[in-house]
Amino acid sequence: MELKKLLQHWNSFPEISMEERPILSSDLEKIVVKNPLSDAFYLRKKLLWRIGIITALWLIDAWQLRAQWKTDGSEWRMDGALFVLLAYSLYFHIRLLLFADYPTLLALPLVNFLGKLEIILDKFMWSFKFVSAIAGFYLMFLVEWGLSRLSTGAYESLTHNDWYKGLIVIFLAISIDILLLHTLLPKYRKLLATVKKYREGIFAKAQNK
Amino acid sequence: MNTSSKRSGCEPDLRSMLKNQHKKVYSICRLFAHNYQEHQRLFTNIIAAASQNIRSRKANSDDKQTMLLRACINMAALHTISLELESAHDATIQFKSPDYQRSMSSFRESVRGISDLEKFRLFLELEKVPADEVPALTGLTNRPSVKKQREAPAPAKNFIPYLKEKLIWS
Repeated sequence: MELKKLLQHWNSFPEISMEERPILSSDLEKIVVKNPLSDAFYLRKKLLWRIGIITALWLIDAWQLRAQWKTDGSEWRMDGALFVLLAYSLYFHIRLLLFADYPTLLALPLVNFLGKLEIILDKFMWSFKFVSAIAGFYLMFLVEWGLSRLSTGAYESLTHNDWYKGLIVIFLAISIDILLLHTLLPKYRKLLATVKKYREGIFAKAQNK
Repeated sequence: MNTSSKRSGCEPDLRSMLKNQHKKVYSICRLFAHNYQEHQRLFTNIIAAASQNIRSRKANSDDKQTMLLRACINMAALHTISLELESAHDATIQFKSPDYQRSMSSFRESVRGISDLEKFRLFLELEKVPADEVPALTGLTNRPSVKKQREAPAPAKNFIPYLKEKLIWS
């Protein structure tokens, strides 16, 4: 009876209306090349930008590390640590981009699609930890450069002490991480929570049936 | 030159398919859109998603139907998620043409309170999709209930769950 009533309502829709007009070829030309995912869900561009920047930094650091190694410079440990961090960050971002596989993402069944979306968002939020750590290193180099201009004595004592430099990097990285945690990350956290809640709702309804 | 000719070879097929199947897309919009703007946006996004899905898997026509239906379901789910994220969302039915507004109001009144999963099932029912094809679209298999699962013997022990979780994301 209920389904019959529903079908009655369904069939009462006008055959032709402004809302459901046939699609024009000219409109279709534009639509088929459009990206269906909104900026919140489509992280490909952001990942590509990051991969580009990290690759450039990694190459520069590799060149610097080589120079430090050859001249037995005092910075080789820090450059080495940064080299490893940049290499792993690059691997993480490339892996995430390949995993996301945006052209086929929407072709997955609903639950798998939502599950994958959750993983992508979760890993993207994780990637901010790498950004914080990399920023920590570069800010420390900035501090060193600043000291070299302002106080040669302080610069000399810092540049020959890897422990101090390490502690400064950790302090700066944690500070940036906290800053990101309160500025950029809340919107992704909210998005992830909404996707998760939606997927769990679908599961709960399916199990109640 | 070769690339463009190859693309133009498969594109008319895709476009004519999307043109013929546009009613299906409007059907799901009836279940999820609240006003004219949402309706048009969801329709456009589903068509774009369907074309992307079909392009990514150039296979037989049955597969194309599945890709279109998956695009409909997934984009409708994303539409609901996006609306949930909006702080002030107006859920009143507002359409431009009076006939459509009337039909939409009475239809939405009759499906009021049903979950999104039920909406998807209703959509597939109205589009006459065979029941055995539904799990391939929703990803939900007809599993036994929780009680039955508890009674069932425990699955084989996974010795490296931590490593598995770390190495394989999905």
